[in-house]
Formats: sequence, structure tokens, C-alpha cells
Amino acid sequence: MARRLLGVVLAGLVLAGLVPTGPALASSRTAAAGPRRIVSLNLCADELLVRLADREQIASVTWLARDPRASTVAAAAADLPVNHGMTEEIAAARPDLVLVGRHTTRTPVALLRRLGITVVELDLPRSLDDVRAQIRAVAAAVGHPARGEAAVAALDRHLAAVAAPAPAPDPGPVPGARALVLRPAGYTVGPGSLVDTILERAGLRNVAAELGIDGYGQVPLETVVMAGAEVLVVDGEAESPSLATEILGHPVIGRLAGRVRLVPVPVRLWACGGPQVADAVRILAAAARQDSAP
Amino acid sequence: MSGRGRHGLLATALGALALLCAAASTMVGYAPLDVAAAAGDLLSGRDTLGALVLLELRVPRALLGLLVGFSLGIAGAAMQGLLRNPLAEPGIVGVSGAAALGAVLVFYFGAAGAFSLALPLGGIAGAAAAAGALLALARGNTGTTALILAGVAVNSLAGALTSLALNLSPSPYAALEIVFWLMGSLADRSLAHVGLVIAPMAAGWLLLLRAAPALDALTLGEDVAASLGFDLRRLRAGLIAGTALAVGSAVSVSGAVGFVGLVVPHLLRPLVGQKPGQLLLVSGLGGAVLTLVADTGLRLLPVRPELKLGVVTAILGAPFLLHLLLRTRNPNP
Amino acid sequence: MNIEARGITVEKGGSAILSGLDLSVRPGELLGLVGPNGAGKSTLLRVLAGIEPPTAGAVLYDGARSVGGPALARRLAYLPQGGEVNWSVTVEDAVALGRLPHRGLDTARDAAAIAAAMAATGVAALKDRRIDTLSGGERMRTLLARALAVEAEILLADEPIAALDPASQLDAMALLRRLARAGTGVVAVLHDLSLAVRWCDRLVLMATGSVVAEGAPSAVLDARNLAEIFGIEALRTEWEGQPVVVPWRRAERTGRTGPG
Repeated sequence: MARRLLGVVLAGLVLAGLVPTGPALASSRTAAAGPRRIVSLNLCADELLVRLADREQIASVTWLARDPRASTVAAAAADLPVNHGMTEEIAAARPDLVLVGRHTTRTPVALLRRLGITVVELDLPRSLDDVRAQIRAVAAAVGHPARGEAAVAALDRHLAAVAAPAPAPDPGPVPGARALVLRPAGYTVGPGSLVDTILERAGLRNVAAELGIDGYGQVPLETVVMAGAEVLVVDGEAESPSLATEILGHPVIGRLAGRVRLVPVPVRLWACGGPQVADAVRILAAAARQDSAP
Repeated sequence: MSGRGRHGLLATALGALALLCAAASTMVGYAPLDVAAAAGDLLSGRDTLGALVLLELRVPRALLGLLVGFSLGIAGAAMQGLLRNPLAEPGIVGVSGAAALGAVLVFYFGAAGAFSLALPLGGIAGAAAAAGALLALARGNTGTTALILAGVAVNSLAGALTSLALNLSPSPYAALEIVFWLMGSLADRSLAHVGLVIAPMAAGWLLLLRAAPALDALTLGEDVAASLGFDLRRLRAGLIAGTALAVGSAVSVSGAVGFVGLVVPHLLRPLVGQKPGQLLLVSGLGGAVLTLVADTGLRLLPVRPELKLGVVTAILGAPFLLHLLLRTRNPNP
Repeated sequence: MNIEARGITVEKGGSAILSGLDLSVRPGELLGLVGPNGAGKSTLLRVLAGIEPPTAGAVLYDGARSVGGPALARRLAYLPQGGEVNWSVTVEDAVALGRLPHRGLDTARDAAAIAAAMAATGVAALKDRRIDTLSGGERMRTLLARALAVEAEILLADEPIAALDPASQLDAMALLRRLARAGTGVVAVLHDLSLAVRWCDRLVLMATGSVVAEGAPSAVLDARNLAEIFGIEALRTEWEGQPVVVPWRRAERTGRTGPG
């Protein structure tokens, strides 16, 4: 306890000592209004930050942002400084804005707040409206609201383009193809999530709702086989090796291929709220149309 | 009736019970499945969903329950016989810890998910490495205590290296996954897993069963066993190799399922007149029964995600063991 | 079977337990191995049984070295001291272990040998008792029966009468001598000098890893050896034409001394 307190005090001294010197060192070329030393502690925040802020504004992003399997901005983040979420790293960056996720480690966040540093917290988006709101919120925080509007407009344009070529010819509601998401360790995604919204938007019916899954939940493979899904949405690319992905390599998934179509969607396209969700919708919509064709 | 006849009867009964439990295991699951119809589909080559679930999910799970349980039971009986200690369990010579380490190393750093059997293969490699180290030790004429201490050393080294590997692992979820994996489970295994372990397990069983007369002789101590013509170094080597093959394979496909190898020989010992040689086969069969009962029971419990197999075997096994200890303390039942 | 031990040396932790010892064991003879604690009697027995390889020297069985295994085990039975029993098997099951070298080739003969061994040591009535419920003497007799069940040509017994009451001791010594008369070569480590001198055909007296004296029992246990090797004075006489040695008091001049 005493050690922890000491750590907090020390870190506080570092931050308190260094933060005021920050603006003096920063280049005066950047936009006068926005923050100049932004640190992101969350992959989803990394992606929005890289898309919406000037590179000079970014003090550091997480190390995950450089991983092309997990990140949609890996190329752009390749030469940005990275952090590992350690309090010392944050202190050394002398931030004036910190972006965190809902589940980012709480201790540094509380410390940053106490030191008067602006902390913007990103919640998990559960709908496309949440995505739009989040893009606008981050754009406003980094001092570029216009870029936010442009990104939202682009997202909507892409979504409209996906939806356009699917005019329902017959009257009445057309039941979409039955789809089930199968993530590592047998997790699936039900109503009340961005993934569910994306499935619906792509014209697919999420079987997880019938299985009583709310949000995230685990399903045994047996249930996956017997659920009668026509489309099985799996991770597009393997992330770092994990026991959890064993289940996706089970032979029964391969043998289902005759009656169920496996649609790979890279996790990075729909793990975070951002313009990239339109790509996920596009891949799934194509799968849905292919499915309804004879 | 002679001891031999009673033993045969007991083995037959337990074998039949194990097969019955395996059959029952295929009838329990998460999806409503008409097993008879699915079996009919399977036999007549109709490629239905039911046949798929039966063949690819339920049958492998039941078979692995049999194989893993038999391996743990027979290896537990063999280790108790070798060390002449009823508290010995199959992992005492370090093979299960080493199997876990092998699985972690190969999976997280080596094969990188390149093929689906990397994990069990790594486990078998780890068990083989531990057995190799112990066999090298057993070549010198070391006694039982040295063997146990070496097993303890291998176990703690493997545990420490496993922690180190997890620390350095590129996957942020590795530690959590391994903690869960080590609790043991047979969920969602495939026929490929069965195919991988069945040969090494069978070889291990043969090595252990062959040691039956020597284990009987050890009842009267190592000197008597030696004077009865048994080569103790060869005996130790055979038992270590057999345990590594059987238990290493079991850990590789199911994680660490505890208590089976400890409790089952203990429960059955009075039924074979305490003879360590006869205890081997019946402990294997009893281990299969306990494992299958636990694995079927956890699917019947209304707990989702399902409980870990190792947790259930411990919950089932511990009270049995306590009851037994209390009963033996008090000679009047 | 004859056993010839030649130049047997056993060293453990730098000190010699046995040093260059020669001994022969012949069929039809009850050989008593006597000597104070630490003389190396048990080690010698283990070497003769082929359990412990000597540091130097060789043991020849009918003139040949043995590689051990069941072939030797069928011809040579060994009863260690201490009576270790690990599982609570029945008396009959314990005695039956003596048949293991025969690998169950002739079950009728096995059964006969087990029954005869139990009858000879008087444990036939106990055959279904768990061995851990027996008294020390009953247990010792069970383990002796186990060794007899081998039906070996040589029996090496380490303190076979230590835990027995006087009547059972006499029975056991009579049994060992009967075995010898029937052709078995019997070697018994004994601490009871009066029984040793009364029942054995030949005594070998050991001290600090060597044979000090060897021969007729009353000659080996003469006053000088009793004083110098055992450090005792004993009553030495005859009764019913048999030698009698009864340890009486500690010798006054010396404690135990080596053979010099």
C-alpha cells in the first residue's frame, strides 16, 4: 500500500513538473485550438486519432496500432512513437490530452484526471449511431470537428453504396440468411452489439439471438453445428497464436463447409467503431446476396 | 472363489461400466440430437448434421474420456506401486508439468497456429523430455527418494518455465488461457486428437501392464523384488516411460485432470486384495468411469460455460478420498 | 548349487564394509553367520544374493558369474531383515510372491509349494489374514514362508528368528536344519549365539568386514573370540551332547577389538 502510494506520488511529481513545460516546447505551427501532445492508450482510440488528428499532435499510440493484424492504421502508425500503457511512459510524453478505452487500466486514468489532464474515454460502440457519435467526439477533442463530419459522411456514403444494389423485388419482409459469428474460444456475438448491427445492416439474421445470447457469449461447437446457420462468420486472419483459435480449426467446421458458407471477416474491421465498419458491412452483404442466389 | 477369478470378474464389470458410460456420454450434449437416428445416418453414410455432431464431436469426446481416464487411472496405480506410497499420483515424476510446458512453448512460440495439433504434439514432446531426464537419472542405481525428488524438481522447473514462457508470450491472453487449460477439459475435441494420442497411450499402457509382477514383488521391498529376479532399474525406466507416454498424451489433449490418478487406485485397492499388479488394469477402467461420469455430469449441470473437467473430478474425488481415510482410521465401520 | 565368493570388497562413502572376503556356501549345510553389529554380515548376504554388486571380487554360482534375473532367482531365495511389507495383502498372497521367479508355468506346483511353505512355518491357519494385522512373529514366519515358497537350492536369511518367541525360534531353527538335511544350502545371519552354536553345521565369524574364524560352531565361539570379537564372557558347556554358549557378562579387559 505504502509502495503504491509512493509510486503515485512520484508519478504525480513527474507529471506536475513536466506538463507545464510542454506547450513551450511544442511547435507553434500546429492549429492553435487543438491539443498538441495527445497520448492514446487504446487501440480503437489509436485508429481514430491517426485518422483525425495531425501527426504532429500525436505524442504516442499503443504498440498494438503497429500490428497489421489488429490495426487498420498499421502503416500510418509505423513511425509514430508507441506506448505500452505504463504510467512512466505517459508521464514522459507530457500529454495534454489522453484517449482511453472504457476498460483501460484505471489507476493511471485516475491519476491523470487528478493532475488536471483532459481524459477522453471511448465506450464500446453498440450501434452505427454510436460509431458516428464517437468519430465526432474524438474529432472535436483533437480540434478538427470538420474532419469528423467528413469521416461520418464518408462512412454513410459507403454504407449507402453497400445497401443500394439490393432492392427487394418481392413484397413483404425478406428473411435474411441465417448467420452466426464464431470467434476464438467459441464466443459469439448477439443483440446489443456493433457486430449485431453490422450483420443486420448487411441483410443477415443473427442466429445468436435465438440462442439467447445477449452481447458476448460462449457457445459449444455442437450448438454451432445444430443451430442451422447458413453463414458462419469467422475471423479473417489469425491474430497472435492462441489456444482460443484451436476451436476454429476443429474438423467439424471444415466439414460444415458443404452446407454452411464460411465468411472470413478480419476482426480489425469491426472490433472498433470507425469508418472501417463499412468494409465489414460490404463483405457480409456480398455474402448475404450470394447466399440468397440459387 | 480364487483371487484371480474375482479380479477377472471385477475387471469385466468395470470394463462394461466404462463402455456404458462412454455410450451415455454420446447421448448428452447441448444440441437436441436423436443419437439412434444419427448413428443410423452415420452407418448408412448419410451426411446429416446429426451424423456430423455425433462423429466429429460426441464420439471423440467420449473416446477421449475413456482414453484419458484409463491413462490417468493406470498410471496412478503404477506410480503408487513403484513408490509404494498411496499418495503418489501420475504427475509425481514431473511428466504432466513438463507436458504443459511443452504445449505452451510449441503453441505460443513455435508452430504459431500453423497446424491444429501443435498443442498436443508439444505436450507429448515436453513429457518425453521430462521422462528422458528422469530415465538418465534412473540409469544410475538411484533409489526411490531420489526419483521423487527429481520429479519434484522437474515439476517446479516446468512450472517456472511455463510462467516465464507466458510472460514472454506475444499473446496478451496467454496466461488466462493456460490457467483455464490447466484445469482440464474435453470440450470440442476432434477425432484428430483421438488419432494422435491413441498409439502412444496404448504403448504406455503396455509398458505399465508389463510391470505388474514386478510391482507385486515390490510389496516386500526392493531387495526382495531384486532377489525375485526383477531388474529394478529396468522396472523404473519402463514405468517412467509408460507414464510419460500415457499421461503426457492425456495432458496434451485434455489439460491437467487431477484426482483421477490418486483417488481411483485408492478406491479399488481393497477390491483386488491390495495387490499392486492386479490394481493396474482395474484402476485404468475405474479411471475411465470416473472421468466419463464427471465429463457427462458437467454437461448436465445447468452451468454455462461448462465447468472444467479437472474441477469436477476433484469435487467428485475429494469426498470419496476423505470418506475412505476416515473409514480406514476407524476399524469398525 | 555351490556359491563361491572370492575377494569380495564393498566400499561405501570411502569406507570398506567388506574387505577382500572369501566364503563358500555348500548345499546340505546350515551355515551360521555371526558377528557384532557392523561386521558386514547383511552386506555379505546381499552380495551373495546378487542384489549388491561388489566393488571388487566376484561371486560364482556353480563356478559361473550370474547375470541375475529369474534364472538365478529360481535357485536362490533371499530373506532380508526388517520385514518390509508395503500393502496389506493376505498371508497367502504374500507367500505366493515367492513363486514369481517361476512365472506361473506350473500352477499346480505353485499351489503345492505355497501350501507346503505355509505349513512348514505354521502360518497355514492365517492364510486369509491381512499381513498388517499379524503379530511380529507371525509376520516373520510369513516372510520366511515366502522365501521357502521359492523352493530354491540356496536360502539366504538375514536374522530370520529375530522377532520370534522361544518356541518359534526353536521351530524355525529346526526347520532351517531340516531344509539343509534335505539338500538346501542355508545361510542364516544370527545374533543368538546359543541357538547358533546348537543348530548350525558351521559358523562363520565376521568382524569389520572380514572373516575372523570359520568352522565347527563350538570352536569358532571359543572364549578368546567371544572376548575379543564380541567383548563378552560366556558360559560354555555341553547339554545332552550338544555345545551350549550362554552370553554371561561383558568382558572386563577390552571392549570390542578387531581381528588385529
